[in-house]
Amino acid sequence: MGVTADLEDPVTTASARLAKESTYSAYAAASNALDQEPAPGRKALKIGVLRNFTFEPVLPVLRGETATAGLHPLVHIGDFDAIAADALDPNSPLARFGADIFVLAVWLEPLAPLLVNRFASLSPDQIAAETARVVDFLRNVVAGIRQYSASPVLINNFPLPTRRALGILDAQIAESQTGAVLELNAQIRKLRDSFPNVFVVDYMTLFARLGADAIDERSWRSSRSPIGRRAVVAAGQEYGKYIRALAGRSRKCIVLDCDNTLWGGIIGEDGMAGIQLGETPAGSSYAAFQQELLGLYDRGILLALCSKNNEADVLEVFAKHPGMVLRDEHVVARRVNWEDKATNLEAIATELNIGLDSLVFVDDSPFECNLVRERLPQVEVIQLIGDPATYATQIEARGLFDSLVASREDKVRTALYKADAQRRELQSGSGSLEDYLKGLHMVAEVGRPNEATIQRVAQLTQKTNQFNLTTRRYTEDDIRRLEESGSAEVLYLRLRDKVADLGIIGVAITRYEGTVAEIDTLLLSCRALGRGAEQALVGEILRDARSRGATEIRASYIPTAKNAQVREFYDQLGFSLVESSDGVRRYHASPSHLDVRALFIDIQRQKSSK
Amino acid sequence: MSAAEHKLKQVMGDVFAVTPDSIDDSASVDTVEKWDSLNHLTLVLALEEAFNVSFTEEQIVEMLNYPLLKAVLEENGVSFD
Repeated sequence: MGVTADLEDPVTTASARLAKESTYSAYAAASNALDQEPAPGRKALKIGVLRNFTFEPVLPVLRGETATAGLHPLVHIGDFDAIAADALDPNSPLARFGADIFVLAVWLEPLAPLLVNRFASLSPDQIAAETARVVDFLRNVVAGIRQYSASPVLINNFPLPTRRALGILDAQIAESQTGAVLELNAQIRKLRDSFPNVFVVDYMTLFARLGADAIDERSWRSSRSPIGRRAVVAAGQEYGKYIRALAGRSRKCIVLDCDNTLWGGIIGEDGMAGIQLGETPAGSSYAAFQQELLGLYDRGILLALCSKNNEADVLEVFAKHPGMVLRDEHVVARRVNWEDKATNLEAIATELNIGLDSLVFVDDSPFECNLVRERLPQVEVIQLIGDPATYATQIEARGLFDSLVASREDKVRTALYKADAQRRELQSGSGSLEDYLKGLHMVAEVGRPNEATIQRVAQLTQKTNQFNLTTRRYTEDDIRRLEESGSAEVLYLRLRDKVADLGIIGVAITRYEGTVAEIDTLLLSCRALGRGAEQALVGEILRDARSRGATEIRASYIPTAKNAQVREFYDQLGFSLVESSDGVRRYHASPSHLDVRALFIDIQRQKSSK
Repeated sequence: MSAAEHKLKQVMGDVFAVTPDSIDDSASVDTVEKWDSLNHLTLVLALEEAFNVSFTEEQIVEMLNYPLLKAVLEENGVSFD
């Protein structure tokens, strides 16, 4: 068997096995494959773990999941029960490790044995005191980490007790054991209000979902390892969802097969009356699955179809079948034909102007799934198996679409992409590009973010990969601090045209020091490319720089796997390249000598809302 | 080789980063490089999942070589015939 350069990347090796099989054994093998240096050009993710229990069994899954997110995991695990030392000492090995992400894994029993083992002996005051003590400890730990690092911290909350100290009485009284854990969990969530970039890993619902024997009492006693066989894969995968979301690897579009996926049977053979869908025992599962998909649509995930069928047959089902939950308006793109599915998926990605690595392909056919896995490894494949009643769970459990922020733009995403497709149609049909752009009557609103828009601004820095010159990720709090510092200017750009309001699609951050302005961040959502919004944004940066008296403006391009298209962006605008090393390109220009403007966009500058 | 034996060697290969074929009766905590106490935990979880069994604490501390792993799995109803 030939070995290509690509196969030597441990991340590729690990992901290949996990794409087919997510057993614990497969994760162990993947984790072993990752036990070496990252391949050249492969981005590493340093994961620092602080724990007061044996977290090691989860690590193979955590590492494997990191690999499937395209990152090479490097893990530093703190000494057993050394959370305080790791967090509070800025010279601890963990602090020096320089983690990109922290996992703070805490189990209640070692923190507060009385709450777990002697609950019935405690007075209400003692319960309150114990609870407060645990919260203070966790708060101090997070504050300690924040002294040396601003990286995301994933802290878990606590599972509800499965054997309640007070039995059925527990549900009757105010000072219950369950209530104490719920209170702790509420306080853990509130840590987010005090510290930026802290995220809660919800052990409470995770273990509730997994059932009463999910906590392994046996290995808890023997090796302080409560996450046993029934929970270990699910727990690691849960962390994987956070890593994907934080790394900007959340998927944007779900591409669905039709026959035996959206309905039972084959429309081309069974006909409208023959397929299973709706108020029948067999049909209701498919209707429920469509309901789950509609939930994804409501969250802003794009739905597309890829089916081997006569298009007219499928359209008829969408238009006329009484059992259909999904309707044509929910579908952003479709390829219903007899071409192979890999080709169709590529066409869908092109039509929507998104990467193949934004797609999830869902099909019941092993043949189609394997074909797509082989030809398009960037596409995540979910092969539906077994009872259609479990389809919804098979999609949801993977958390591929999960995001850590929600905003209005997400919810109207399908409408925006549809308008975009319409626009492109306009484009292909009508004369020159200039005529077309002129005819769009574009208006850009540019201003500084306020409380209503700051979330979207942060989200764009976290999710934008292609048109992003420096790919610096910021949280809402980071943006707020920049805004308040006085030495930086954050600008958003909102674009609308005669077809639709695209919402906020551009962000620029400029830092000022003396008479030097430095463009820290410049990005544009990919759905707004090629219309001049980038020139509009740079034009406004230059205008601000001039009015603040800057005599020099600096800018840089930092390469990533995805932003090659903007490598020469500043060259094209007339900036001078002053340095280029390791792919990083640095530029400067004089604000008074450079004139950048968007030809077909009317700019409306907002007054500062601060 | 029985299906169970094949599966056992596959899991051990995954956990200890060796080829399954290299596992024989001599494989033990003393001869397999990566078979330490933490990987033993990993092995236990991987075997429990692969064979859908649940070991007792006593079994876990005693299953420290290949013949003993087989014996313990047999105690849990796995057939190596």
